[in-house]
Amino acid sequence: MSTLAPPLGPIEIEVIRNALTAAAAEMDITIWRTSRSTIVRELLDYSTAVFDSEGQNLAQSARIPGHLNSMTHALRALLADHVPPEQWHEGDVVIFNDPYCGGQHLPDILAFKPVFHGGARIAFVGTLCHHIDVGGLVAGSYAAKATEIFQEGLRIPPVKLIDRGVRNEGIWAMIRQNIRKPDLLLGDLSSQLASLEVGAAALTRLANRFGAAAMIEAGARILDMSEAGMRAAIGRMPDGTYEFEDFLDDDGIELGKRIRLHVRLEIEGETARVDLSGCSPQVAGPTNATLASTNAAVMFALMCCADASLHMSAGCYRPISVTAPEGLVVNARHPAPVAHRIAVSHRLLNAMNGALHQAVPDLIPAAYYGNSYVTTFQTVKDGGQRDVLVEIEIGGSGAHPAKDGVNAYASGMHNNSNIPIEMIEAQLPLTVLRYALRDGSGGAGMRRGGLGLVREWRIDSAHCFFTANMDRFDHAPYGLAGGGPAATGALVLRREGAESPIPPKTDNLKLQQGDVVRLETSGGGGFGPPADRAPEATERDTRMGYA
Amino acid sequence: MSVAQPVRIAVDIGGTFTDFQILDQRHGRVMAWKAPTTPADPSEGLMTGIRQAAGRFGFALADVGLLLHGTTIATNAVLERKLAAGVLLTTAGFEDVLEITRHVRRDIYGLAPDPFPCLIDRDRRFGVAERMRADGSVEAPLGDLSRLMERLREAAPEAIAIGLLHAYANPAHERALRDAVAAALPGVPVSLSSDISPEIREYERLSTTVLNALLMPVVQRYLAKLEARLGEDGFRPRIFLVQSNGGMCSLARAAEQPARLLLSGPSGGALAAERLSRRLGRPNLVAVDMGGTSFDVSVVQDHVIGLVTQGEVDRLPVRLPMVEMRTIGAGGGSIASVDAAGRLTAGPRSAGARPGPVCYARGGVEPTVTDANAVLGRLDPDFFLGGAMALDLAGARDAMATRIGAKLALSTEAAAEGVLRVTNAQLAAAVRLSLFEKGLDPRAFSLLSFGGAGGLHATEVADELGITEVVLPREPGTLSAYGILFSDLVQDIARSRLYRAEDSHAAALAEAVAGLRAEADARLAADGVPDSQRAVEVSADLRYRGQAFELLVPWPEAPALAPLLARFHATHRARFSYAAEGDPVEIVTLRAAAIGRLDKPEEAVATPAESGTAPGSRQVWQGGAATAWPVWRRERLRLSDTIEGPAIIEEAFATHVIAAGWRAALDPEGAIIARRIAA
Repeated sequence: MSTLAPPLGPIEIEVIRNALTAAAAEMDITIWRTSRSTIVRELLDYSTAVFDSEGQNLAQSARIPGHLNSMTHALRALLADHVPPEQWHEGDVVIFNDPYCGGQHLPDILAFKPVFHGGARIAFVGTLCHHIDVGGLVAGSYAAKATEIFQEGLRIPPVKLIDRGVRNEGIWAMIRQNIRKPDLLLGDLSSQLASLEVGAAALTRLANRFGAAAMIEAGARILDMSEAGMRAAIGRMPDGTYEFEDFLDDDGIELGKRIRLHVRLEIEGETARVDLSGCSPQVAGPTNATLASTNAAVMFALMCCADASLHMSAGCYRPISVTAPEGLVVNARHPAPVAHRIAVSHRLLNAMNGALHQAVPDLIPAAYYGNSYVTTFQTVKDGGQRDVLVEIEIGGSGAHPAKDGVNAYASGMHNNSNIPIEMIEAQLPLTVLRYALRDGSGGAGMRRGGLGLVREWRIDSAHCFFTANMDRFDHAPYGLAGGGPAATGALVLRREGAESPIPPKTDNLKLQQGDVVRLETSGGGGFGPPADRAPEATERDTRMGYA
Repeated sequence: MSVAQPVRIAVDIGGTFTDFQILDQRHGRVMAWKAPTTPADPSEGLMTGIRQAAGRFGFALADVGLLLHGTTIATNAVLERKLAAGVLLTTAGFEDVLEITRHVRRDIYGLAPDPFPCLIDRDRRFGVAERMRADGSVEAPLGDLSRLMERLREAAPEAIAIGLLHAYANPAHERALRDAVAAALPGVPVSLSSDISPEIREYERLSTTVLNALLMPVVQRYLAKLEARLGEDGFRPRIFLVQSNGGMCSLARAAEQPARLLLSGPSGGALAAERLSRRLGRPNLVAVDMGGTSFDVSVVQDHVIGLVTQGEVDRLPVRLPMVEMRTIGAGGGSIASVDAAGRLTAGPRSAGARPGPVCYARGGVEPTVTDANAVLGRLDPDFFLGGAMALDLAGARDAMATRIGAKLALSTEAAAEGVLRVTNAQLAAAVRLSLFEKGLDPRAFSLLSFGGAGGLHATEVADELGITEVVLPREPGTLSAYGILFSDLVQDIARSRLYRAEDSHAAALAEAVAGLRAEADARLAADGVPDSQRAVEVSADLRYRGQAFELLVPWPEAPALAPLLARFHATHRARFSYAAEGDPVEIVTLRAAAIGRLDKPEEAVATPAESGTAPGSRQVWQGGAATAWPVWRRERLRLSDTIEGPAIIEEAFATHVIAAGWRAALDPEGAIIARRIAA
């Protein structure tokens, strides 16, 4: 911070803050409009953000909470352990996907670019895309049965994909050779690079106008402002220690052995301490998380409780501390597999909300479905042509103290779109037979939980390899204050008229032409005693067939 | 328009006022008029206004040959949910798609979400046993419909939407259903997704079709009232309605496809921008319309307004061509506040017309952007709305001092200046995003600013953007109607089908384009457009294989694909900073705009004042001090007057601030042109 900088009043800060948010939005539009794979362009599984010169998040696009609040952790790990500050040059782009270098799981490739002004680094811009396939055991790289990260796909350490403006062709070739759909991945990666260019140009414009020193000071003040807002919000919560736990069904390897996510939340004055020491040890299968995911879930839970006008930045993280000993499912040790880290993240958020409900009962809804229903179809036509479809489905949101949960609502750590049925059928030998709300799947209560979904796919190619990675088949989303739990999920194979269950964590199940896969997702939990539900609300549920 | 009926009227019916622009070919002058809107039957206010204008400007109702009509009737019906009670028929198994939507939530940190709007409840969505494939082949034929028709009769719908999977590829099942419905429930309006939005992606097509169906009875009722007015005192003009794409359509077409009217209101402003771009010789304009609650941005590039193929109303997608417009909640009524973290914000909450800004003295207590302008002396408390309304300056000062100044330890004036700076930054960000999406540089544009509040912010927003020229058109309060006055009939036709953009597909593509042209021509003939007035513009949506979003590229005259591909790569590079010239390209949708040109009568140049008067002056706060700024009256400006900023120009329904470093003068066309003269 320069003492020579002109004084920045609240007005200038607000002007710069608006411009930083607009830069993240411009980056977002660029990826949205240019990406290639269905997972990026239709599911919208990507995020963009702007950081200060030390890697602290200053502004975010309105995309995926699980990405956005992990990127500060990732960039700071990068600066501390892998690419120290002096090794970043103008025109560089560093990419990586390694969960053990600050990432989350291998399909998520992070890309960061430094922004220079007058020879000094003043900021970073960053993007994170979930790519359709990064190799490994199964198409889509979401293997349910991996026991080491080496099976999960291509692991990219922090490398300069672009070095002072020059493409590192060796890296591009290395990636191309190790993945199933190189045109899609490299197309999406090009979108990430274009987005970084756009973000860097926006920040340069801003620096030209206000000067580098003012930008840096404004960044510091924005972080302080977010911190103050977060502190005030925590300060309004009653002091105390709140504990809650929720469970994942299993890790796909030791079937039926539940995984505990235990939260001990201490609110003291304007600070929050979250102790996760009571969580299960890391597991053999890929239902593990690294700290980037874990921190994102804890921060997100508390940020949601804050005043709606809080500016979301890394300043919000400051009054919050997280204890997560290494070797637990929330801080897995190399080389544990982590593909299904999102399940840990979702369940940790469910547990955090259960604890927060005790502190701020008027704010917190019952459990949402708490799960990303990931299905992957690798179709193989007679001629040998292979296509990959990755779908991520959702369920219902939890009932809120003041209103019913929302049917089929993207909640919690992720925020995906769905893929249009017509687009799937135009591109792959698959037919969707049904896409509907799942009657009765919402938890009962004074406020009803939102409904989950039913989706059915028919295989139209000679062969198909099917992979599933999902949870909440044994442990239902909980209700609160006397509300009932939501329905658990179901995954069913219909072959020649007979139905049989498909395990929710399945790799490369061989399907044949005419087979039908049906997914039924959880709703959200109910809130308050069902007996207190207004008669007209019950009547409407009956008329609509929701109950 | 014949000599016997020399008067053309454009009308724009808004929520509060009905605006008129009238062109009388006998002398070529364009005249503006305003009348209060009559919400119960807007045609009443329309006729009242026309009668008043006829008396005032000296024409008879029988002289009116053409009535061009912009309306927010469809938009308001959606926003206020004054829609028909309809039903949806869709492929069995997919009845819930309308409620499931596309998922993505907008407020990612919200804990108590509201569902996306769904206009037809689950108990009124009926499944139909049938199935099409993506290539248009039939997987399962339409089954027996008798039981379905029974249920429909029980439901007694006022409108019926029909949307089946892959109907864009083969509409046969939708048409057969329509015929069955017409026989079972005669007289009930029906919308087919294959007619309304024949493009891939089922939710967006359903949403558009449902909106259309539920609007049909509403719009048809209004059109019937309007037609009933014909004949009153010899009033018998041809009537056309403004669509969201900026083109006119016949009453018959509007009755069938009312969803095309959803952006009718704001598209008039965009049309005006396009016309002014030509008349003022400025090919690149970014047009901003700032009123009480919103700020609308549209872009004119090379004299042409941008169109998009999808927009939304109240979070409901509408997949029809419409003027490309970005709207943010920032206007004169936007409320300024300081939040718990000490941030000064303005909008998107608005005090609206009621209670309105504090200075309106109608019960508003929270300071607004208009209050900030009043506190600083930029608005004259005694000449607001031409003196029709006195402003409560003391109230505005008090609100600004207690609710903003005290919380930020700023003087009242510094707080008001802060509110304007924060507002201007938001306005500039919206303009920048609109240009950015097209890969355009603000410095290559002039800022065309209109609407009641536009002129107060224009030069300062231009400064934020690096724009060095601001155009303040005459009659900024009725500019949309002016745009409508000179528009054409336009019918959009779209056909979705995937082609590889390769020479092997060239013949099939040429055939499809010829078919589109023939259909466009037939539609123009049906609307009675003579041969000499017809034009058909063909374009195509292209993308790299794998992308989800397409770029609209004009179809080249030459039959080869090379020029088309070259345009696509160039557009992609301009917008997204790269082109992948080696990658395969797909054509997703072919589009034709069937244009029926309305003759464009000569518009007489406005006559500026002959003898001017010296400007007055008043004290205006800026940068912590009050100084005397000259205050000019627009109607007294002469072509020879030069206005050096800082200065204020006032007219009846608008006030303009010319910031320091800017110089303004009257253009012969009547617009005020302000230019940056110092860095």
